[in-house]
Amino acid sequence: MTFDWSVIWTNLPRFAEGAWMTVWLAVVTMALAIPGGLILAFLRMSPFKVVSFAAATFVEFFRATPLILQIYWAYYVLPAYFDMQFSQLTTAILGLTCNISSFNSETFRAGILSIRKGQWNAGKAIGMSDVQIMWHIVLPQAVMRVLPALATTWVSLFKDTSLVSIISVSDLSYVSLKIRSETYRILEVLTAMAVIYWLMGYPQAKIVDWIHRHYKVVE
Amino acid sequence: MSAQETPVKRINHGESPILSFENVSKRYGTLQALDQVTLTVNRGEVVCLIGPSGSGKSTALRCANALETLDSGRVLFEGKEVRADDNRNARQVRRRMGMVFQNFELFPHLTVLKNVTIGLTTVLKLDEAAADKRALTLLAKVGLSDKASAHAANLSGGQQQRVAIARALAMEPALMLFDEPTSALDPETIGEVLSVMKALADEGMTMVVVTHEMDFARRVGNWVVVFDKGRVIEQGPPRQIFEAATVPRTREFLNHLGWHGESKIEPAREPKQ
Repeated sequence: MTFDWSVIWTNLPRFAEGAWMTVWLAVVTMALAIPGGLILAFLRMSPFKVVSFAAATFVEFFRATPLILQIYWAYYVLPAYFDMQFSQLTTAILGLTCNISSFNSETFRAGILSIRKGQWNAGKAIGMSDVQIMWHIVLPQAVMRVLPALATTWVSLFKDTSLVSIISVSDLSYVSLKIRSETYRILEVLTAMAVIYWLMGYPQAKIVDWIHRHYKVVE
Repeated sequence: MSAQETPVKRINHGESPILSFENVSKRYGTLQALDQVTLTVNRGEVVCLIGPSGSGKSTALRCANALETLDSGRVLFEGKEVRADDNRNARQVRRRMGMVFQNFELFPHLTVLKNVTIGLTTVLKLDEAAADKRALTLLAKVGLSDKASAHAANLSGGQQQRVAIARALAMEPALMLFDEPTSALDPETIGEVLSVMKALADEGMTMVVVTHEMDFARRVGNWVVVFDKGRVIEQGPPRQIFEAATVPRTREFLNHLGWHGESKIEPAREPKQ
């Protein structure tokens, strides 16, 4: 068996572009899915039954179906039956954001509900409104408390972005598989792909570990 | 009741009371937490609510601060009915009433200073400089100027409770409610909280204090209300309650706490369930 690692070096700029797209997708998705998750969490805790039911349905749909299906569905079904046509990149962001927002909403909701009632009463006792208590007292504590869970979601999001390659978004996976089919250097290309994902993912996992240790709830 | 036989003039007696309960009842499931409670608090008084655990003292405070809806009866504060089911009304009431909780309930994500200023900046809309100034004055008053930039978790229980008192005072309340303010404290820090409360009472602050500190009720209180099973079983000036309680259940409760006052009451027999 002979190896030809030169395919990696000659295609390095393309790998870099793919890696950049992967990072970009993850960052943009999370940037949208944090407010998205918060909004869904608030809607789900709404006293209006219709609102909370709608939010719960949305969340449970996206949590309980595979991301790959959601991306396919958005890409093929929306244009065909609903006359909604988005670019591949927009579709990818849309699918990922709906999915991650749903997970984040449950994380935020758990965090908000974990703040004990006494904190609400203390806020009320100085005359604060419910909105002020949520914003100044409950949410800041809840976010600190769920930071480890959000970090874990981030790491899986980072890897799950690879699924958008199925609709030809040129992330690291798409670019790598393309180079593989052009060069037939399967082992070399897949190894390079693994190494690049690992180099990017490992430090993140370490940071997540640190966050878990640092933001442990101390009461 | 002897209070009726030999009427005792209460502070500002005859003026309209700052807080009054009129036949207030409140039920949690099968527990009758408050049963036809009627009591008044006059301006300038320190009213102590005493009685066994679960007798309704804390529930009464929560009703006063619009944290509980009533089943029947009404609570009047500064002449207006307190309505927990009306958000605007509840907030107006709470803005004029300070409340101190058994578990302090400081905001753990904020510094001591911010704990005191948060109500000033969000509710009273003071600018930060004015809020800080007022907060520092109050922290000095409770003896914690040096802890302004500390976080709650780094304070002792007694210090936390003093911050909670400063936080409530910052809103310049007309009435302060204390819900067992020393029950969660180590014995060695109880004194510092009680002395802050006493200083407040000496300044003329109107206070309602739910407490198991009988010495405080006796020395600082002007009026003592005894609760049992959701009912007010006896009320009167401290001298009367502690030295000449007329209701057997009151004597039994005080004996149980080891309080024998100056009267010779036969030792409690512990007729508990």
